[in-house]
Amino acid sequence: MSNAIVLREVTKRFGDLTAVNHLSLAVPSGSIYGFIGPNGSGKTTTLRMIMHILLPDDGDIQVLGSHDTAAARDQVSYLPEERGLYKKMTVRRLLRYYARLKGRRQPEIDSDIDAWMARMQLPGVLDKTIETLSKGMSQKVQFVSAVISRPSLLILDEPFSGLDPVNAQVVKDAVLEIRQRGTTVVFSTHDMATAEKMCDRIFMIFKGRKVLDGTLHDIQEQYGADTVRVRTADGAQALAGFPEVEAVNDFGQVQDVRVRGDAQAFLQHLIARTAVYQFEITRPSLEDIFVRIARPQEEAA
Amino acid sequence: MQKIFTVASAEFFNVVKSKAFILTLILMPVIMGASVLLMRVSRNATDTNDRRFGYVDRSGVASPIIEAAAAARNATAAADGLPRFIPVDIDTAGKAEEVLRLELSDRVRDTELFAFVEIPSNIVDPDARAEIRYYSDHPSYQALPDWLMKTVNQAVLAERFRAASMSPALVARLTKPAAVSNLNLFERDSFGTIRAGEKVDPFRALGVPAVMMVLMFIVIMGGAPQLLNSVIEEKMSRISEVLIGSVAPFQLMMGKLLACAGGSLVLSAIYLTGALVMANKYGYVGALTPAMAGWFVLFLLMGVLIFGSIFIAIGAACTDLKDSQNMMTPVMLFMMLPVFTWGAVLRAPDSTLAIALSFLPTAAPFLMLLRIALHPGPPMWQVLLSVTLTALATAGAVWAAGRIFRTGILMQGKSASVREMLRWVRVG
Repeated sequence: MSNAIVLREVTKRFGDLTAVNHLSLAVPSGSIYGFIGPNGSGKTTTLRMIMHILLPDDGDIQVLGSHDTAAARDQVSYLPEERGLYKKMTVRRLLRYYARLKGRRQPEIDSDIDAWMARMQLPGVLDKTIETLSKGMSQKVQFVSAVISRPSLLILDEPFSGLDPVNAQVVKDAVLEIRQRGTTVVFSTHDMATAEKMCDRIFMIFKGRKVLDGTLHDIQEQYGADTVRVRTADGAQALAGFPEVEAVNDFGQVQDVRVRGDAQAFLQHLIARTAVYQFEITRPSLEDIFVRIARPQEEAA
Repeated sequence: MQKIFTVASAEFFNVVKSKAFILTLILMPVIMGASVLLMRVSRNATDTNDRRFGYVDRSGVASPIIEAAAAARNATAAADGLPRFIPVDIDTAGKAEEVLRLELSDRVRDTELFAFVEIPSNIVDPDARAEIRYYSDHPSYQALPDWLMKTVNQAVLAERFRAASMSPALVARLTKPAAVSNLNLFERDSFGTIRAGEKVDPFRALGVPAVMMVLMFIVIMGGAPQLLNSVIEEKMSRISEVLIGSVAPFQLMMGKLLACAGGSLVLSAIYLTGALVMANKYGYVGALTPAMAGWFVLFLLMGVLIFGSIFIAIGAACTDLKDSQNMMTPVMLFMMLPVFTWGAVLRAPDSTLAIALSFLPTAAPFLMLLRIALHPGPPMWQVLLSVTLTALATAGAVWAAGRIFRTGILMQGKSASVREMLRWVRVG
């Protein structure tokens, strides 16, 4: 399988700060690739370098088979995290403009615009100005502005943030549909559940360095089966003082517990203390893994 | 190039469809017309309240003429829209001068009188160097003292002529000045016929050049600052990130500059067409030559690109409008330089100051154009040098703005300092 993006030993510095440090990764063509990482870890800088918005200080970037990232510009679309649209423009003019910037011709643009408006459940907004749209509508229009150019590579920075569940589902379905057409999708997110469900591969960057890269299965294998999900009569209080308990992620009704040693022994001790309604040995969730990586280093920092 | 054109066409339609453009288009002639009208109205609309003034005539010669002149003036004052000047002969009644002056000053303060005037006893003596003393609480009001000076001097001169046994009428006839008629040079036409120089038309000689320069100023200053707002808006709303993901920063900047230049050309074309229609109506159709229009377009484009580049650079370096306003102050001083100096250039277009200013790239689009429009115009070497210097400065400004724009457009948080901007220009 060919790669849509290849980074080799890429480094980017801003003054004394090294935002991205000797980063290497490969994004397979046609995949959905999740970028995760805490705020300020270098996600957006990496995405901007892929987009040729920033240039790396060291290393090599290959996008859609070209080492000249500028040359691939027309085939790459980008939806930034902080959305901005021309408030006074009509939706139709905006979408035409963005499509033409990517080199598309007017006649074929309009039919695509109509199709996307229907697909995103945005009827009757084409001749309205952006400022008259609701926030959800604006976000969907922004999404359409990123895909209207029929990109080969679509980079989405937090594409679902701020969307209600219905609109988020509409956008998720659209992303999956685009991938089925052969477009490679890279998206950064803080929503680990979405990343788990949608991404073929997940990449985590922390303090400018790669700390995770692989399929969810591979990553979870790497972190072992040391997590149990429990539901007890006394909630998280029931877990206090057990030597087997290494960490607890409390969701209120259930708790994810990282267990040191034998899980069966821990279950016997727990039954002795409280009524246990659920005890499920699971793999660590992506969120658990994220926290395991980020928290100790953040605390140390 | 295609992307520059795409950006330019989108931005151009944004510009010409914007309310600001349409308002400028409509309001500018309205404002200029209203200003001219206001000046005319305000020139004629004087305060028509009566001006009662006391006079103390110690010479004994001025009193009858003051009374007669006031009566004559007041007879038509209302019809002329002027105030009446009502003289009050003050009875000194043996009062000491200081006491009398204080008393009259109090009457002025009490608004019983508007002013009072003293005509000394030796006013007729040409060697005495006596002066008329005018006292008032309204030092800025000049109509009354001017009228008094004229009226009293008329009486004084008549008395002096009489003392010298000379007829005032004869003196007036003999001292009547010869008028100077301001004419253009003679020339020989294509048939070999000598053509006499026509009388100089002040509007054609001075008004047309001034209008051209003012139009240039309005068009450039109306368009270029909008680039700053546009860049800051795109930067603050993160539109710039999307755009830079599609086009190179320099392409984006050039698209904006070309759109601004296009908007300025459209505005100029509309105004100049309107001016031509009016010129045709009033017999000034030859005042705007094709060569002049060519120079106008050339300097307009260079002016838009220079100032547009400066505004784009400031917009890219700042993260909000407040910071940009601070950075604009020194730029505005440069921009206003032609406004402060164009009067001097108009009066003496070949002076050293005028020549030096017309070589300064930020002033040349206005002041060299003004000099070209003023007959006979500057030597061609000066025009070419000015165009060359301005073109080089334009290229430099666009290049430097491109370097600043490339770095600044993605910067968030703190606005850049001038030092940082210079570093961006130097190292990219």
